[in-house]
Amino acid sequence: MAKAAAKNKRGIAGWLNPYHYNAERWAYTFQRVTGVAVLLYVLGHLGDTSFFVGGPTGTGPSASSWAFIGTVFENTFGHTILVLLVLALVFHGVNGIRLVLSEFGLILRKPSAIEFPYKPKALASGQRALIYVGIATAVLSAIWTYLVLFEGMG
Amino acid sequence: MRESRLMLLQYVTALLAVALVSIHLMMQGVILPYDTAISFNNMLSIYRNAVTAVFLEALLLVVLVHGFNGLRIILYELRQTKPWTTWVDVVTVAAVIGTVAYGTRTVILAAFGVVSA
Amino acid sequence: MTDVRLLVQRFDPFKDEEPRLVEYKVPKREGMTVLDAILYARDYVDHSIALRFSCRQASCGSCGMKINGRPRLACYTQVDELAGEKVVAQPMENFAIIRDLVTDLGSFFEKHAEVVPQLVRSDLQEQEHPTSEYVMKPEELTRVLQFTYCIKCGLCTSSCPTVATDSEFPGPQALAQAYRYTADVRDEGGDGRIAILDTPHGIWRCHFAGSCSYVCPKGVDPALGIQLLKRHVMSGHAPRKAGEGSPTAKAGIPAHGPGSGSSSGG
Repeated sequence: MAKAAAKNKRGIAGWLNPYHYNAERWAYTFQRVTGVAVLLYVLGHLGDTSFFVGGPTGTGPSASSWAFIGTVFENTFGHTILVLLVLALVFHGVNGIRLVLSEFGLILRKPSAIEFPYKPKALASGQRALIYVGIATAVLSAIWTYLVLFEGMG
Repeated sequence: MRESRLMLLQYVTALLAVALVSIHLMMQGVILPYDTAISFNNMLSIYRNAVTAVFLEALLLVVLVHGFNGLRIILYELRQTKPWTTWVDVVTVAAVIGTVAYGTRTVILAAFGVVSA
Repeated sequence: MTDVRLLVQRFDPFKDEEPRLVEYKVPKREGMTVLDAILYARDYVDHSIALRFSCRQASCGSCGMKINGRPRLACYTQVDELAGEKVVAQPMENFAIIRDLVTDLGSFFEKHAEVVPQLVRSDLQEQEHPTSEYVMKPEELTRVLQFTYCIKCGLCTSSCPTVATDSEFPGPQALAQAYRYTADVRDEGGDGRIAILDTPHGIWRCHFAGSCSYVCPKGVDPALGIQLLKRHVMSGHAPRKAGEGSPTAKAGIPAHGPGSGSSSGG
């Protein structure tokens, strides 16, 4: 134990706990968590869509197999997963665009002479606004998905 | 391979995924009502239309390459031993090939298979 | 006069199983820094508190530590600016603890050295025996100036989520310095530096969490430098520089005569 304590590495807590830090650090954590979550969904989605052709051992489009998978996922449980998926997916996508633009320096301010107290240019409002756009878009999309799946809209 | 090539792949698939996934979501709940969109007949027509079937295949490829390459990045950052890195590389390539193959099987069977009740 | 509730993490890896927080009451005075408070505790309460400090004016980068959950310089953080009623001083995370608040910065300096943090000229003879001053225009200096302010305190590296798990990642300090020299018009070693960084545990393990820039006490803004460097790493080449390709530049000879412009070490 003393050995681990002496190493003093934050470990995965450094990825998952952005408390005390900036908005971009929170976005980093959510980007990572939503990325893994969406990948897990996609793997499940590969499985459920395969039931359109009868599942792993199927040979062609099967109405009964598709109806069967519908009984498994077309319910409150499955629809709740879809609402959460859209929330995670849309945030991951919009925040991902921010990251691509930032990591190529396209929406960052140029280095210049600085004055104190210094506000980091990398964390300036331009790119940071996209984090909030991502959150807003994700929430609105999730609400839309809820209305479509639970209230019969669309 | 230079790591920048794999990251370029990540950025390109990211932008493609944003476009393709947006279209996919639109097709499933905005253009058509959700219940109609996931009905057997509508799904069949999507798989049997060359454009939309190719679209689904492209979506499959882009999302899985982006997802597993992202997972590779996370696993690289988790541990740094040579055996671990080799294992991650092998598993990533195998996972992409395996999942794309399984998804492609669905697309092909849905497009060309014999329809049953 | 009110007291400051100062909690200092005590830990001797050779003797203790786990770190523990020990509370000291320190009489508060106006303008008191966290370093002042710790030094009071060490001088008047417990002489065995181990800490590293030197200049007391945010110039030397010795007193980096985690204060109330965030990496800060103890000499540059006033007790009054901290929220809450306690001041909790712990060693910087992601660096091995030598004792109490003193961390081992050995690998940190090694990683700094690995990115070749000095001007490199293609003409080694000229580099080792320069015949005149290397000059740069004021606007060229401005491009790298803020990155030269790094005092190697380690706060950025301590805050980085990648460093938290990836021991081979150079960290924000080293990467920002890689940008500082690669973007310097007098430098010709950018391509070599880029080859060092374009590796599985190199610059691409930065995901722009930006915590490094958030905690930097000197306005270095490492995240900015790292992102600006990424596009050059992607292209495989250092940024084009004024005069690049000219016979004088290739020969390692400054394009301007000595004393004809401003220059900076950094």
